[in-house]
Amino acid sequence: MAYQIIVCGGLAPDPLQTLEPVTTPTGPGLKNELMLPNVFDPWAGHALYEAANLAKNQPGSTIKVVSLGPKAKLQQVMMTVAQKLPFELIALDGPGGGFTDAVSVSKALADAIAAIPGFDKSQALIFGGWESATRGAGVVMQMVGERLGITEQFLAVDELTVDPDGALVIKERVEGGKHQISKCAAAPAVLAWATGSLPEPPNHPQTGMANMRVMMPALQKAKPTALDPAAIAYAQVALPAVTRQTRIVKDVPAADIAAEIAAWIKQ
Amino acid sequence: MEKILVLLHTTDEGALPKAALETIAAAAVIGAYDLGVIGANAAAAAQSVSAGAAAVFAVEGEQFAQSRYATDAAAAEAIAKASGAAVIFATGTMRFNRALPGVACRLNGACETHIVAIEPDLKVHRWYYRQRMEATLSRAARPWILLLEPGAFESAPAAPGAAATPIAVTVETRTTVTGYHAPNADQQTIRPDAQLLLVAGAGWTKKQKDGATHTPEAAGLILNFVQKTQSSLGSSKSLVDLSGEGQSVLPFLSHLHQVGQTGSSPRHRKGLATCCHGEEPHVVGWRFINDRRAINLDAACGWSRGKADVLYVADSFEVMRELEKLL
Amino acid sequence: MNTDPIEQKPLDADIVCVGFGPATGGFLTTLTRGLETIDSRAMPGLPPQVLCYERADDISFGVSGVVTRARAIKASFPDLDTTEIPMAAPVRDEKLVYLLDPHGATRRPALMQFADKVIEALSGLLRVEHQGFAVPFCPDFLHKKDGFIFSLGQFNQWVGQQVMMTGLAQIWPSTPVSEPLIENGKVAGVVLAADGTEVRAELTVVGDGPIGPVGRRLDEIVGMPEGHKRDEWAVGMKMVVDLPEGVDLPEGTVFHTLGYPEPEIFGFFYVHPGRVASVGIFVPSWLESPVRTAYRYLQHFVQHPYIWRYLKGGRMRSWGAKSLLESGRRGEPQLAGDGFARIGEGSGSTNVLTGSGVDEAWLTGVQLAEGVLELYREGLPFTKENLEARYVARRRKSWLEAEGQIAEKARNGFQRGVLQGFLGMGLAGMTSGSLSVPRPAKDKTPGRLEDFYIGRLTRSQIDTIRLRCELESEPLHDALMDACGWPKIEYDGQILVSHQDALLMGGKVQAPSEFPDHVVIRNEHVCDDCGEKMCIEICSGEALHIAAEKPAGRPGFDREKCVHCGACLWNCVHENIDFCAAPGGLHSAEN
Repeated sequence: MAYQIIVCGGLAPDPLQTLEPVTTPTGPGLKNELMLPNVFDPWAGHALYEAANLAKNQPGSTIKVVSLGPKAKLQQVMMTVAQKLPFELIALDGPGGGFTDAVSVSKALADAIAAIPGFDKSQALIFGGWESATRGAGVVMQMVGERLGITEQFLAVDELTVDPDGALVIKERVEGGKHQISKCAAAPAVLAWATGSLPEPPNHPQTGMANMRVMMPALQKAKPTALDPAAIAYAQVALPAVTRQTRIVKDVPAADIAAEIAAWIKQ
Repeated sequence: MEKILVLLHTTDEGALPKAALETIAAAAVIGAYDLGVIGANAAAAAQSVSAGAAAVFAVEGEQFAQSRYATDAAAAEAIAKASGAAVIFATGTMRFNRALPGVACRLNGACETHIVAIEPDLKVHRWYYRQRMEATLSRAARPWILLLEPGAFESAPAAPGAAATPIAVTVETRTTVTGYHAPNADQQTIRPDAQLLLVAGAGWTKKQKDGATHTPEAAGLILNFVQKTQSSLGSSKSLVDLSGEGQSVLPFLSHLHQVGQTGSSPRHRKGLATCCHGEEPHVVGWRFINDRRAINLDAACGWSRGKADVLYVADSFEVMRELEKLL
Repeated sequence: MNTDPIEQKPLDADIVCVGFGPATGGFLTTLTRGLETIDSRAMPGLPPQVLCYERADDISFGVSGVVTRARAIKASFPDLDTTEIPMAAPVRDEKLVYLLDPHGATRRPALMQFADKVIEALSGLLRVEHQGFAVPFCPDFLHKKDGFIFSLGQFNQWVGQQVMMTGLAQIWPSTPVSEPLIENGKVAGVVLAADGTEVRAELTVVGDGPIGPVGRRLDEIVGMPEGHKRDEWAVGMKMVVDLPEGVDLPEGTVFHTLGYPEPEIFGFFYVHPGRVASVGIFVPSWLESPVRTAYRYLQHFVQHPYIWRYLKGGRMRSWGAKSLLESGRRGEPQLAGDGFARIGEGSGSTNVLTGSGVDEAWLTGVQLAEGVLELYREGLPFTKENLEARYVARRRKSWLEAEGQIAEKARNGFQRGVLQGFLGMGLAGMTSGSLSVPRPAKDKTPGRLEDFYIGRLTRSQIDTIRLRCELESEPLHDALMDACGWPKIEYDGQILVSHQDALLMGGKVQAPSEFPDHVVIRNEHVCDDCGEKMCIEICSGEALHIAAEKPAGRPGFDREKCVHCGACLWNCVHENIDFCAAPGGLHSAEN
């Protein structure tokens, strides 16, 4: 079965950066947002690697990545992602931070997907992360699915296999360290991925160079995309203020520390 | 006051999850509410907690017993329409986290998830950027679905009341739930209801004082501790990543154990971090742990100081060996 | 679209660049502006295919802050608006400050101690404040008053975005290059470190800095020009600090400092927009201490009363370190050969008299690009002869060369002593290089501990410290500095943090696991006879450490802590360290 795999994925600050909220004229943002190095959202990254794996096993499948973010940042991040695997990019030039409105984001993504030349819903698998590392809400993928009229949806997916009869067998994370297993007869479906099980592919310079030949024009003509800045009224955004008075226990034998910890556990 | 609907689901066994009573309590503080329940045994479950509800609805039947997007979304949509509520309080379980955002879209509304507090004027609190900052926000869009983070709200006692009005819903779906996959009981290391979370950091697989790694011993110490104390096991991202890259690792760890940056933010009463110098658990994954202790070789570790209540400056291997004797 | 991975085969391009810093930035900015009308020779019908490979994980990672006159940069961007570039600002107030020693722990020559006493005695008259004496004039050769303050990471990111948006060049981060590809005595491209992919190109532009493996390999292959040597270095280490509330130094404020924490160590303090400062030091190779450490000295520097009054209560945002090649024009390699050209710091462009390298590096890139465009337009190949005629000749005729010659001997005096060094810089600066202090027959080299600490620590004290540190697998510098009267560092968790926390909080250092160790001890037995193990003492990230698991305290390497400063390379007196190409390192974009 050949699928049209569409991966929705945004940008997130490099995970090691120090983040601090600030108030901007258009609402909350991050201090030095322009300066922060970005990565492809890690959850969406897992979705992309799974997409590549699926496409490899399902000949004729295609991968398109729909990404909303400031054009220059998208371009910079693509220089890393594009080396991993072959895909086409549909770039939307707009705000990319966590404080944007998920409803507007879902509309922008769904509109972009629906406008893909040759988009065939019956073959579509819409992939994304189960949450972003920015907003962390886990709502956009469901809304994209609804807007596209796809009601077979899965959240926190860790595994997808395709049965010989073409059914999708999907493992979703549920509470208690368990997975729920479902069978979906056929595409279309929305799969919002957790981590999956595939490692990040190594960089492949040839793939990167080939990808970039088509990505650069896509980036240059990225569609300016406005979101609704008034959808959410933020009263406050703050860092947690709790600093604890840490009691330092040092130069104490391990046995004594163990005794103290054992007593604490039993409390 | 805007009309509120409390939306709950039952478990596969037909009971309400613990967090259901938290959702009811959170709504009751704000004002009058309708109650709706979806799932196996929904009507009976609804009646068991409906004392404070103005109207009570239920969608049940075989098709709705399973946790599945298409059926859950259709049921939730039907109840939301029947109630006509402007604000919907729902339990932030995986089942509803999957289904309700799409329902908000279907109803031309909006949805907030992972809510940890709600103010009387319906400003909600939730975390952004992997629990690194907290926002207080409100929306004008209605209906507005609020998914409450389990464990973040006080629970109300269950008080039975009026019987539920059943709502008939028909929906087509191509998806069948075929079962669950769970680790064997003796390998079970994720226990959401445990009192204690043990966080294992990448230090466990690094070279120790003698210059060698002791990963098998580390694995034994950790597993033994988790089994004896019936605690839940969490891990830092770097340690989980190592296992994906075929390095010397703790064999039982998977991404499901990951806390912090790109993992879960578990709620446990106590947390003990081991071998985590410079790793995120101290900062992020710990946010919802009340009582935090860390064992770390570096007294100056900026990621423990100010974040943990007690920092033991010691070798985790030595302390855990001693603990093994005591537990 | 075919989604199968593309087979491993050589990549063909027209131009391949190694390293993305200011030199390559200048090259690509200039080149891409003229490229559209030119046809690729590798892929006719397309514009020339220009690839650039950068080893760091982002084009904004791992480099340094800078105050620069930006003459060449301004020539490339005549309407440069600094508000477009985060952390950039015009220089507004520039001071040269002589720092007195608040603890009496520095090694000051007698004459300097006498000068200190005079300054202290006349402190009212000289307006000494907070133990710092602002020299009433900033020598002309040092000033940057018409220039800019940049975060080089942010500047590079801005330049990279402009270049890539032209669609005429691709800059690939996290892609280290291991070596040049040599065929028939010519450079035919490069070899990528990750998987050995050959990237073939008619021209290889080497801008991988002073410790880059491609530049160093070329030096081995083609040799250095007669009399040229790379033997003067420094470690620059800095932090970026959020200044505390109430400190309202205007953006564009610049202090150059000297005198503390050792007379040989120069310091800097720049104020960026948004109440952010860059503060740091340079630890030079002519500091004879065998236990020279940049981190401990940086901690004392920031606590000097003159600086600390602004920093106290602030917070470290970023931290980093790099090696600077300070041989200047004397370190200039063969600038061009068949199929390659050298630009930037690794091409000996840094001016050690004016303390300026970024703008000079930029200019070398511009000059090469201008030459390359001419050769393209005239249909000429990138031979040694052609590159010398169009690039090197341009360089020789420019202010870069003229000023490089003035600076060439300016620092010779430091090989004799600190005061001779300052005298030599002054002489060269004031006489446009006509006068200088002659270089001694033998350069200063780090001494043995026992010799370096004569009069300060006894041999038995040193032995005790050495034994203790070896037992505890600790480097020596902290214990020795403590013993010499340097006050202990009281961590405040904000600016004064442990070295490891500086890596985590400031540098955000990372190492991908799939690469092998990039720092390799060639022959560990050589280390057994090495008394001082300067590689460990100087290591900016404590990545090189005394490995408890190895015999006789041999060094071990922990790549997760390496910031790729390369200091180990030039501090190993036995030349027993290989420094290979690898990604990872600093993940801060603010340095």
